[in-house]
Amino acid sequence: MRGNRERKMNFKRRILVSAMALAMAGALPSLAAAADSIAIITPSHDNPFFKAEADGAAAKAKELGYEAMILVHDDDANKQSQLFDSAIAAKVKAIILDNAGADASVAAVQKAKDAGIPSFLIDREITASGVAVSQIVSNNYQGAQLGAEEFVKLMGEKGEYAELLGKESDTNAGIRSQGYHDVIDQYPDLKMVAQQTANWSQTEAYTVMESMLQANPGIKGVISGNDTMAMGAWAALEAAGRTDVIVVGFDGSNDVRDSIAKGGIKATVLQPAYDQAQLAVEQADKFLKTGATGVEEKQLMDCILINADNASKLETFALK
Amino acid sequence: MTRILLTAACLVAAFGLSGCKIVKTQTADEKAPAADASGDDARIQNLLAETWEPKLVPTINEKALPVADLRAAVASGLEAAGKAHGKAGSGAGAAWNFAVKGEGKVVEANLESRARTLGLDTDADGASDVTLQLGPVVKGTALRDFSPFYDFTNFRDQIEFAKLGRALNDVATASVQIPDGDPIGKTAAFTGVIAIRSASEAWLVSPITLEMKP
Repeated sequence: MRGNRERKMNFKRRILVSAMALAMAGALPSLAAAADSIAIITPSHDNPFFKAEADGAAAKAKELGYEAMILVHDDDANKQSQLFDSAIAAKVKAIILDNAGADASVAAVQKAKDAGIPSFLIDREITASGVAVSQIVSNNYQGAQLGAEEFVKLMGEKGEYAELLGKESDTNAGIRSQGYHDVIDQYPDLKMVAQQTANWSQTEAYTVMESMLQANPGIKGVISGNDTMAMGAWAALEAAGRTDVIVVGFDGSNDVRDSIAKGGIKATVLQPAYDQAQLAVEQADKFLKTGATGVEEKQLMDCILINADNASKLETFALK
Repeated sequence: MTRILLTAACLVAAFGLSGCKIVKTQTADEKAPAADASGDDARIQNLLAETWEPKLVPTINEKALPVADLRAAVASGLEAAGKAHGKAGSGAGAAWNFAVKGEGKVVEANLESRARTLGLDTDADGASDVTLQLGPVVKGTALRDFSPFYDFTNFRDQIEFAKLGRALNDVATASVQIPDGDPIGKTAAFTGVIAIRSASEAWLVSPITLEMKP
C-alpha cells in the first residue's frame, strides 16, 4: 500500500513538473502549439539590415499560414544554440537562420536536423553542406565588382583612392575587398594610398577618414566595405570641405539612399535582404509540403548597383 | 637501397600530385577544413585543367546558337529559351546564360580601356548590337554560370566560387587575340557566352574565340 502511494505521489509530482515545463515553454514568445510555426533567428535588429530580414521572413510566413517565432542571437553562438533548443522544444516546422558563425553554427543546424526540423540559411554561409536544406546568400563578390566598376567609372580610371575595410573577423569584409580589387587593381592609374579597417562602424570611419585625409590630401575617392562606414567617411569629408571626393558603399541602406539623392555619396550596392528572407520561407514551405525545394542547397542572390538613377526606388533593402 | 628509397619518394610524389587533382567531385565529407583559401589557386588550376579544354570549350561550341536564332528564341520568351538552350546561374533571379556565335562588322572599338570591347553590328542596321569583352577586365561570370560542371554547393564558399569565375574569364581572354590596328569596318567572327536577365538587355559577350576578317 505504502509503496503504491509513494508511486502515486511520484507520478503526481512528475505530472506537476511536466505541467510547469509546459507553462514555462508557453511563456516563451509565440510558442503556441496550435498553428504551425517557423522560427526566424537573426543577429540583433539594431542593424536595420537584420530587421529587414526578420520582417521579410515573418511577413512571408504569415502569408503562407505559419506563425513566426522571431529570435535574435546577437552574434553569440552559445545563445544561438540555446535558441535552437527552444525552437526544437517548441516543435517549430522549420528554422530560418542568419547564423552566428560559419563554423560554430554547423552543430546547431545539425541538432535541428536530427530533431527532424529543416533549416534554411540566409545572408551567411556555414562551412558544411548537406546539413541545412538551403543556404541563400548575397553574391557579395558580384556586388563588390559592380560597386568597383561604378567606382572606376566615376574616378575616370585614374587617381588616388582609399579603402575602408570591414571587421577583419567577418568573411564578408574579405569577400568584398577581394571583389573590389579584382576590378580596381586592373587599372594601373588608380592608386590605393590608404587602406584601413573601420570595423563596420560609422564613428570609427569618421576618425579613420580624418587621418587618411591629413596624410593623403590628394585622395579623389573612397571605396567602403559597407554603408555605415561610407556614411562616417562622408561626414568627415563634408567637415573637411572635401565633398568633391567620390564615395561608394555597400548594403543599400536608406541612409545612403538619402545621401545619394542629395548628391553626397555616389553609389552603393543593394543586398536584397528582404527578398532573400522571403525566398527562404518560400523554400521552407515548399520543402514541408513536398519534401524538396527543387533547387540546389547553396544559392547566390545577385546584388544590384544603386546610384542616382535608381536610388529613389530603394526602400528598406528592397527595390520598389 | 638508395634506389628503392628514391623510387619510393618518386611514387609518393607522383601519387601526391595525382591525389591533389581529384577535387572536382568532392563531397562535404571529403572537404577537410585544411582546404582553406591558401589552396584555392592550385585547386582552381586543377579544375581548369580538367574542365576548360576537355569539356567547357566543346560544350560552348556545340551549344552555341547563331545570333539571329538566339534573338528570336529569347524574344518569344526568355524562360523558355533558357530552358531549351541555356543554363541559369545559381539562385533566384540569376541570369540565364547562353552560348552564342556569329559575325558582324565592327562599328565600335574601345581597345584603350582596361575593359576592352568591340561593338559589332550583326544585323546590318549600322548600329552595334553585340559587345565583345576582350579583357583584361571582364564583367560577370557567364562562362562559369553557363557551365553545367560547376556547382556552388561543392565549393567552400563564395570566395572560392568567385575565384573560379575570375580564372575562367582570364583563360578566355588569354585565348582571344586582340586585333592589330584599327578594327573599325572589319568583320569579326566570334563564339562565346552571354548572361541576360531580360529579353531587352544588351548583349555582353565573353568570347572564347575571335577571328578578324578583312
